[in-house]
Amino acid sequence: MPAFDRWPRLIGRHAVLLLTAAVMLLPLVWALGSSFKPSTTIFDMSPVPLPASLENYRTVFSAFPLWRMLLNTFVTAAGVTALQVLVAVPAAYALTQLTFRGQRFALGLVAVALLVPVQSLIIPAFLMISHLGWRDTYPGLIVPQLSGCALAVVLLRNHLRALPPNLFHAAALDGATAGETLRFVVLPLLRPALSAVVLLVFINTWNEYLWPTLAAPSPKHTTIQAGLALFLNQEGPEYGPLLAASILATVPVVAVYLVASRRIADAFLHAGPG
Amino acid sequence: MTADTEVASRAAGRRAGGRGTAPHRPGGPAPRARSWLYLGPATISLAVWVYGPLVFTGVLSFLHWNLVSDHPSWAGLGNYARLVDQPEFPHAAWHTLLYAVGILPFATVVPMALAIMLWKKPGAVSTGYRALLFLPVVLAPVANAIAWQFILDPLQGAANGLLQDAGFGPRNWLGDPATALPVIVLITAAKVVGLNLLLFGAALASLDRRTLEAARLEGATEWETTRFVVVPQLRRTAVLLGLLSLVVVWPWIFTNVAVLTQGGPNGATDNVYYRLYTYAFTFFDAGTASAAAIVISLAFAVLLGAYAVLGRRRADPGPGSGPAGSGPGPAGARPERGRSHASV
Amino acid sequence: MVRDSRRRVRRSAPPVMALAGLLALAACGSSSSGGATAGGASAGAPAQPKITLSFLSYNYGTPDLGGKGTQALIDGFEKANPNITIKPEGVATADALTRAQTETAAGSPPDVAQIGWSKVAAAYQALPVVPVQSIPPAAEWSADTAGFSQNLLNAVKSGGQVKAMPYTISIPEIFYNADLFTKAGLDPAKPPTTIAEVKTDALAIKSKAKAQGVYFGVVDPGKSDFLTQSLIASNGGHEIGTDGQPQFDQPAAVAALAAMQDLTRSGAQPAVPTTSALSAFAAGKLGMLVESTAVAGSLQKAATGKFDLRSTGFPSFGSQPAAPTFSGAGLVVLAKDKAHQQAAWQFIKYLTSPAGMTIITSQIGYLPLRPSLATDPKYLAPFFATNKLLSPALAQLDQVTPYQFFPGKGASQAVVALQDNAVAPIVLQGADPAKALTAAATKVRGILNQK
Repeated sequence: MPAFDRWPRLIGRHAVLLLTAAVMLLPLVWALGSSFKPSTTIFDMSPVPLPASLENYRTVFSAFPLWRMLLNTFVTAAGVTALQVLVAVPAAYALTQLTFRGQRFALGLVAVALLVPVQSLIIPAFLMISHLGWRDTYPGLIVPQLSGCALAVVLLRNHLRALPPNLFHAAALDGATAGETLRFVVLPLLRPALSAVVLLVFINTWNEYLWPTLAAPSPKHTTIQAGLALFLNQEGPEYGPLLAASILATVPVVAVYLVASRRIADAFLHAGPG
Repeated sequence: MTADTEVASRAAGRRAGGRGTAPHRPGGPAPRARSWLYLGPATISLAVWVYGPLVFTGVLSFLHWNLVSDHPSWAGLGNYARLVDQPEFPHAAWHTLLYAVGILPFATVVPMALAIMLWKKPGAVSTGYRALLFLPVVLAPVANAIAWQFILDPLQGAANGLLQDAGFGPRNWLGDPATALPVIVLITAAKVVGLNLLLFGAALASLDRRTLEAARLEGATEWETTRFVVVPQLRRTAVLLGLLSLVVVWPWIFTNVAVLTQGGPNGATDNVYYRLYTYAFTFFDAGTASAAAIVISLAFAVLLGAYAVLGRRRADPGPGSGPAGSGPGPAGARPERGRSHASV
Repeated sequence: MVRDSRRRVRRSAPPVMALAGLLALAACGSSSSGGATAGGASAGAPAQPKITLSFLSYNYGTPDLGGKGTQALIDGFEKANPNITIKPEGVATADALTRAQTETAAGSPPDVAQIGWSKVAAAYQALPVVPVQSIPPAAEWSADTAGFSQNLLNAVKSGGQVKAMPYTISIPEIFYNADLFTKAGLDPAKPPTTIAEVKTDALAIKSKAKAQGVYFGVVDPGKSDFLTQSLIASNGGHEIGTDGQPQFDQPAAVAALAAMQDLTRSGAQPAVPTTSALSAFAAGKLGMLVESTAVAGSLQKAATGKFDLRSTGFPSFGSQPAAPTFSGAGLVVLAKDKAHQQAAWQFIKYLTSPAGMTIITSQIGYLPLRPSLATDPKYLAPFFATNKLLSPALAQLDQVTPYQFFPGKGASQAVVALQDNAVAPIVLQGADPAKALTAAATKVRGILNQK
């Protein structure tokens, strides 16, 4: 293919990507810009923070238990992610690689669980954690969010099904038990998918609002999303501090993304030629 | 196919380091008890935190009870009747369908195209793009909605300025019943695209790049390679992500609606999830909310069942969604991605 | 080596899985540890009978003045009452009643809860509210509430007694941008007093000052109807009749909302959501904003150094006196036993005492329900000397009409039906006022008649 032919395609490709990125990033740019605007200009809605001010960040740090909330949210999100993965990996494995009676039933059980509206689960779940004495505790925040593990099961199952069956034949011929196959064959190959699922569950939990609002009311355990809602109060919305706190709250998520995405990319190189 | 065998032997070699002396034991089918041991944790979790509450919700849907008073009274089908008596719930159901149809391309075609584009040219630039496109997902939902509120503000927002230059007169995009729902779909789509781009990326990561080079060597154009080599291998993932997105997208739509339109104007941005929330937490009507939850769950279960039945009918005869690795067939004898019907 | 580790794996893998599953249930174990740490905080109770009072408040924990003011109130109370400890819980405004209700359903309601007035009726319906007036002896009650605006105290009564204590109370007034008035050739010292004058001034601002004219926040984002009620009552009507049935389809109410539509039609009022108008006003691009005094503090913060922000009383329809109703929040007592109810009363007594009211007004920005404090140099006279924004509303406290509730469990749904099916379409989308209100009244009757 002649080199001059490649230019239009190259430009076209970058144009598409850049335009998509620009549109998708609009809210983030606005939030970032506006978070540096003082209370006298925040309401004019332009993203250009001139004159810039750290007023909002100061408010957030001085009058808002931001670190505590971020810590609580991190513990919750990490706990939920760990529990869901721990529960979902063997389940996905069993649903793909083992035969047993009731498999379709189990699959249906998982699938339907995806579809039950969360809003209808939280009140019964709240009554349960109240009876367990888990209100305003980390277990109360974390364990009921196992209700979302169906998503992880289904995603992991999809990736397991995409693995070449030969692998498992080879493992079986080698005399590996199901547990060994899971640990030594499946898990290494599942790493990119697992990283994606970890990221997805982590972010979903990080962004959860309704459950923490009910389950962990005290400042000691409340999470960042519940905290952010406090800025939208009756006495006039505090957009500036809200956006500043939100920007700070993206940092841990970006960190998790960077770690997880490297693992996805790693696997991606391994799978490539060479 | 040869590539698969190679990968398999590589993986097997990596783990065992030549363990030829072990007694031969067939890997499966595993005893039922052990299967349930693997499934147990997930099953128990779902039983306790989904199905338990669902049963509770089911009972509530037949009662007039606010959870507090000592005297719940039997409502029969009264709560269900209320859902259909008033126009709001059917209207919300219809709009839920519109949302779903609107979101679907952003859950499938768009992120798949972007993911393939980035996958074909691995490197720092692609990694950068992938990170950029993922960024919208990390912003807190409420901050994201407020940023859009700023951009779309009918009096001071930037969107009107920009769109006016492009010939679309100043509009109250979220205040007009005709544009409110499409706008909510579009701003929610940014998150869906970012997330599914990542998930398509993960699916592509387990795909063999050499098939691509083989096609290129045979003289296929770039488009043909994509269309006939890459896309078919992503089909199942696309179907799955399409379906899953329709499950996970509602919390995002919910926040956008709650912050930006509160279901209005004239119910244009209402949907069954927002309605359920309204019944439960604005009207404090646990009975009607529970009835709505049951109706939503049942409707989805029926759709899912129909989909599974149709999918099975289309699929090859054989063990269906049965185990892949436990069949005794010789290695490589089965088409490795032959089970084309979508899971779940 | 390899064999060893694999054998170990073989033996331990299933138990590990089982353990993971059991975690879901057996986390009871960790619950006891969680309980222990939670208990540790309160375990050091001295021999003296101490009482811990849980207080659910949507002002608590906010990073602004409201949060600081609430903390100051709690600190002040704990200092004066060392045997009572307040355990505050913050919550977003919209979720306050939800939280109170779920906690009640779980058997441990907050002892005192701050509930928005638009949801107080729902609270009476759903929660075991202990009428606050019934807790102290009658004489103590009279003595402690003597300094209150008696008009307001009567207005908040339900069934002849004060069930929820008025706490953070606001009433709507006109906030205006004096700079835009001057630019439009209007005299900022003579703000409009009637709806007709509001319209004239708004049109002048629109044409001469290149800004938006006026905005009445009737289409409340929280779907409260306090401004709808204020307008209807000021035009001599009632949203709800004495029989509890809708009267907002009667001529006085129809005319009140038609006046709002006229503002929009004439261009005096932009057809935008309240959030947008609030921002435009704070940015100095809207001449007048009719909103609850609750937002006075944040408007002041936005206006400082930018434009001259002033306020005037809620406008009237012609010569009829303005009759705004109130919004904000009341305190309900949900404490189960006598000891906690008594402690709750002590707490409420402090919050609404002259000292408490001084903090509520000067720090959180709500009206002093003891009007004499405004001129008392010991309390709020210094504050009112420099903060004029609340004064017009304070002057109207004696004109305030009761905030009306629809009866029964459909109360909240009825309000939303009125706001969504009539008020918003009339004011923002040009729906026919009489038709829309009649249709909404039919709908509301249906809702109220439901079992």
